[in-house]
Amino acid sequence: MAAGMIKKTFLAPLGKDNPVFVQILGICSTLAVTNKLENTMVMTLGVMFTTALSSWTLSVMRKWIPSRIRMMVETMIIATYVIIVDIALKAFYPEMWKQLGPYVGLIITNCIVMGRIEAFALQNKPMLSLVDGLASGMGYAYVLLVIAFFRELLGTGTLWGYQILGSWWTNWSIMIMPPGGFFMLAIFIWIVREAVFKEGSK
Amino acid sequence: MKTQSFYAKRIQPLMFMALVTIACILVTAALHLSTLERVQINEQFFLWRSVLDAAAISHDGQPNSVATLFQDMVETYENQYVVETEDGTTRYVVERTGPGLWGPITIMIGFNDDLKTLAGISIVSQSETPGLGARIEERWFTSQFAGKQGPFRMVEEGTADAPEEIDAITGATITSESVKNIMNRVTAESGNISREQ
Repeated sequence: MAAGMIKKTFLAPLGKDNPVFVQILGICSTLAVTNKLENTMVMTLGVMFTTALSSWTLSVMRKWIPSRIRMMVETMIIATYVIIVDIALKAFYPEMWKQLGPYVGLIITNCIVMGRIEAFALQNKPMLSLVDGLASGMGYAYVLLVIAFFRELLGTGTLWGYQILGSWWTNWSIMIMPPGGFFMLAIFIWIVREAVFKEGSK
Repeated sequence: MKTQSFYAKRIQPLMFMALVTIACILVTAALHLSTLERVQINEQFFLWRSVLDAAAISHDGQPNSVATLFQDMVETYENQYVVETEDGTTRYVVERTGPGLWGPITIMIGFNDDLKTLAGISIVSQSETPGLGARIEERWFTSQFAGKQGPFRMVEEGTADAPEEIDAITGATITSESVKNIMNRVTAESGNISREQ
């Protein structure tokens, strides 16, 4: 397997094929978990774990999966990894597990996971699929972290729970409510498309 | 493409799915069982900590010291906890649940010996908006109730000065009102808490 192929697979989801701002996938969790940096970090690590390992597992199994039931198999494997994340958090990081509530379980419905499996893992070798899954998770992660950075800072004046802005700062409550997620995501997509992709298309 | 045999079309996918399902269940069940004890310890720690917080017993938040304090001071009964403090007074802690904005809010409420004055409260579980309603868990909010008697009235954040006034949370009016309703109900009924067990 050529190293160039791995590099290409790894870089695409971070830039020109980014799952969030190019493919506009996984939006629901973008809105739900990005109001605090710490929650976002844990959530995105969970997504990275799930996309990487479920892509790898299904790529290993791809020759044996009967094509008419492949989606059932995909869902089953994804759900297994998500439950592993959920149980691990519940046992070793219970405070965070309480805060994230149902959103960990909802990684199952994150379109990025199944999208990468359908589009990539079922046609490619396990190692390459692992790289693709991991990179897709990372492409998702950094976008969410940027959004969470601004939402937490503007919404509560804190970062990672520490007070950053002084008492002169009036919290923008809208930022930590779901509409704030919409605004930040839209602004992010707009800036990226104007600043980065316009250059490329000329 | 030639037509598939009955086996390849019907039986084989079923068998395959059954095998995958069994494998997945084995993995998750094994993980669940191996962490079960830890999860129960965590849940017990959260419960014990909120009882101690409601009874205004200071602790350092470490699982070991919380467990020691709880076992030394607290007697658990069917619907209340009785806490014997170091200075010889008794506090009574009850758990109450009421509706919040998005889901139920459960509060642990501690009363002093007179069954009227609050020793403290602590939020056991809630699913309010993070950053807004969820701030009812923060110490500045819960500590407002200590040493007071109901019924309470919610006023704008930062303006409470009379004994029955409680600072509401800006941007979380419904959640603040929900907490007030739960508190007013429990303080009105606090005379029914039994000292005898």
